[in-house]
Amino acid sequence: MSADKVKSVKEDFVVPHKLFSLSRVWAIALNTFTQLVRMKVFYFMLIFSVLIIGANFLFLNFTFEQELKILKDVSFGAMTLFASIFSIVGTALLIPKDIEDRTLYTILTKPVPRFEYLVGKLIGIILLVAVSLVLMSFLFFAVLYFRQHAILAEEIKMIRGGATDAQKEYLKETIFAQGVSPELILGVLAVFLKAAVAAGVALVVSTFASSTLFTIIVSLVVYFIGHAQSLALEYYFPDGQMYGALQTFIAGIVAVVFPNLQMFNIFDGIITGQSISTTLMLRLIGLTGFYLTIYSMISWILFAKKEL
Amino acid sequence: MLKEQGFRDWAPSMSAREQLTQASFVGSIGGFRSLIASIYDLRAHQAFLDKDWASVEKFRGITTSLQPRFAKHWDLAAWDLAWNAYAYYRNKSEWTEDGIESWQMKNIMMPRYLEKGLEFAKQGAEWVPESYRLAMVVADIYSQKYNDPELASQWYFKSSQAGDAPPFVFRAYATHLARCEGKEEEAYEVTSLLYRSTRSSNRSLTLTVRRDMERLEDHIALIAANTMSLEQLESAALKNGSTYLDFAKLGMHLLEVKKDLKAALAVYRDIANDKNAPFFYGRKLLMLLARNPANEEQAYAALKKLLKRSPELFRRQDLIEFTKLETSLGASNDNRKK
Amino acid sequence: MMAEEIIPAVQINNLTKIFPVPFRKEKVIAVNDLSLCVEAGEVYGLIGPNGSGKSTTMKVLLGLISATSGSSAVFGLSSSETASRGSVGFLPENPYFYKYLTGAETLSFYGKLCGLSRRKIKERTSELLSLVDLENAKDRRLGGYSKGMLQRIGLAQALVGDPRLVVLDEPTAGVDPAGSRKIRDLIIELKQRGISVILSSHLLEQVQEVCDRVGIIFEGKLVKEGKLEELIEIESQTEIILEHAEPKILDQINELVQASEETRVLRSGKPKTTLERLFLKETGAESEDVRKDS
Ligand SMILES: Nc1ncnc2c1ncn2[C@@H]1O[C@H](COP(=O)(O)OP(=O)(O)O)[C@@H](O)[C@H]1O
Ligand SMILES: [Mg+2]
Repeated sequence: MSADKVKSVKEDFVVPHKLFSLSRVWAIALNTFTQLVRMKVFYFMLIFSVLIIGANFLFLNFTFEQELKILKDVSFGAMTLFASIFSIVGTALLIPKDIEDRTLYTILTKPVPRFEYLVGKLIGIILLVAVSLVLMSFLFFAVLYFRQHAILAEEIKMIRGGATDAQKEYLKETIFAQGVSPELILGVLAVFLKAAVAAGVALVVSTFASSTLFTIIVSLVVYFIGHAQSLALEYYFPDGQMYGALQTFIAGIVAVVFPNLQMFNIFDGIITGQSISTTLMLRLIGLTGFYLTIYSMISWILFAKKEL
Repeated sequence: MLKEQGFRDWAPSMSAREQLTQASFVGSIGGFRSLIASIYDLRAHQAFLDKDWASVEKFRGITTSLQPRFAKHWDLAAWDLAWNAYAYYRNKSEWTEDGIESWQMKNIMMPRYLEKGLEFAKQGAEWVPESYRLAMVVADIYSQKYNDPELASQWYFKSSQAGDAPPFVFRAYATHLARCEGKEEEAYEVTSLLYRSTRSSNRSLTLTVRRDMERLEDHIALIAANTMSLEQLESAALKNGSTYLDFAKLGMHLLEVKKDLKAALAVYRDIANDKNAPFFYGRKLLMLLARNPANEEQAYAALKKLLKRSPELFRRQDLIEFTKLETSLGASNDNRKK
Repeated sequence: MMAEEIIPAVQINNLTKIFPVPFRKEKVIAVNDLSLCVEAGEVYGLIGPNGSGKSTTMKVLLGLISATSGSSAVFGLSSSETASRGSVGFLPENPYFYKYLTGAETLSFYGKLCGLSRRKIKERTSELLSLVDLENAKDRRLGGYSKGMLQRIGLAQALVGDPRLVVLDEPTAGVDPAGSRKIRDLIIELKQRGISVILSSHLLEQVQEVCDRVGIIFEGKLVKEGKLEELIEIESQTEIILEHAEPKILDQINELVQASEETRVLRSGKPKTTLERLFLKETGAESEDVRKDS
């Protein structure tokens, strides 16, 4: 048989294969999301509700600022905690489990490039984090909204002889300044972005660790160092100046291995009334995209030739 | 490169790092800084309930260094030390039997916590300059604890300049300035500004502003009356663009230096008819009228009406004088009946 | 079709796979210079004891691991290309799927990975569920499936992309006789549909009936390969197959065969050794009594 006959026959038979298919990535992402949902992770919402509703009734003899701050602190603390845990533990749980259970064999022996598998898993976990943050925010904003109105009514009642319109207006302004605001949404967005970066870190670790516990531990270490990274850089380069190419290079490597997660803690600024610029938000989004791209690439390099 | 925006603001300060436990420090850089500050806030509150002032000071120190841009932390820190701790030792020093202990409380503990509270408030004012609150707390401490109207007025002024300052801060500035000796001119400028702006916007005037206004106008008029000659004062009053205050100076001169009640009455009548003059000149006029026994009854009736309609125009000494007038009239009426 | 005759379903040439052993100098040679070819439409059995390199060979074929040397291709496409997986279905050894998914969801998930349209997925899912006899269990989660059911949903999963080659690693291992029967029937059905199959087993009698050709693998080497009939034919013996044989008849079988009214001769001809014996002989593990026997 001639060579080109073989070739033409080959072309007839081979199903055209897409190098990258969004629908496959989406199928894996959705499957990951479904899996986590069915693992009943959303029971955490119960804990969250208890926490933030409890935070309402604990400190009734405080000033309204303290009350609202505690409510916001508890909510944001819980959101940060849940989002980070979901992203790290979720990634560390699912990818090594796929390898261990050999479920991965059935996926990778379908026409699925390994890169798509990684990206799909990452998106699935980020999706879960996003949905849980949306749920938590809804509850949080509802409780905060209810609380700020209750406090306003209380404060108005406390004014002897009835409040004048000006007084009411002033109270409303000062109380609501501590209440529901668009800045809080930006704060939640930053929590989400940080969790997404953490998921990226866990993805890289899980591709070479192939054990859940190891992945969690290493990712947590990176997560914490990531928060302290800027403090360390500040310590070594107190005036923010890098001297020489080598130092800049080392700082660059450090910044990739240990992402600067401190930058994402904009809630600390929001709660003290700082306004958050659009530039800063765009920067955070860009930074997240940058880290996720880098991490996907690194994990792909590690995973592409992995013997399964 | 990525850090200049943001990072410095949300990393805990060096002083916070030194005070925190390891766990709290880790939490504070891990996105839970505000929550940890709230926890220390609660601990400070508990220490306050336990009257453990050393702990209150420590925990308030931590909350403020964790979130120095949160005004309420400074506010509470200053309040707990300069008011609560201070009052605690003041009460205790009064009740304690031990003289030495009492002396220590009065002379060591009370001033110490007052200073600490003041320090917190001042640091807070530096950290959160855009808010009126901490400068006001500093001013409150100077006013209420140190009885220093001069420093208090300076801080009230600073506070009143912040964008979110409610109007009462400026009033506090004016009243404290009015209590500063030797600053009457400046105080009068501020007070009259306040008086006029309040009256023109149809809002009710506080009693303090009314009193300060009258006191300062009297003060200024009296000084002028004593330092200037009749001719000078007359020409100043008759000059174009003169105000009722120039007439008040002239009136004061006639009354206090020349002791010419009749001439003074004529001047005060002019003032009372001036729309720009404060209403208390009406009362002043009636009071002067009452000095003349011939007008006593007529003035008394008018004063009585005025008192009923606008009691706020009467100061304490005016009420005393009014009562005297009332009793002397009653006595003479009784005599007449007899 | 022409193509199926021209391009072999599986072409493995001089495949060697060496695994490094962590912290040791020596290495494991899992597959040693192995070549084999599975023609399109053929059912090929890879037989060997545990640890002989069957799974490793299959993993190389499917691109899960890379060859140390040699090559492997599926329908002419190298195993290292993702596209080569477009026409393969794989059922791993002791498969384990997402136990939070139902049977139907599992198939539709794998269907999506194969790039099937939504309508096609629906069709394939119900078709395959009835093929593997799991229609009644399709809305139950895999967590509650038995071993045999998992094996069958695994088979359905391997078939969802309409593959032209199915790779089955120990499809009947650990499955009860009825279940294993069912799987063998399915393999026969695949063959009838013209699908090529390569399967591995360490239990010989299970593949005996379904394979067109078998290869015997031992310590990573292919030691014997050929058509099943050719491999097991023995010239010097005659075989009698009895039905309803009573014990005492067995003792006197030669005399009574003609005389008895109850016993009947079903077939007589050239008898065959079992694959098992052959296997034991080839792998040098032939036992004493087997040797005496022949
Ligand atoms: N990932 C691996 N690392 C090291 N050795 C392996 C690995 N996988 C398989 N082996 C070894 O390769 C040999 C062949 O294994 P395998 O192909 O699984 O055999 P089979 O499937 O025929 O039972 C065995 O000795 C096994 O221990
Ligand atoms: Mg095996």
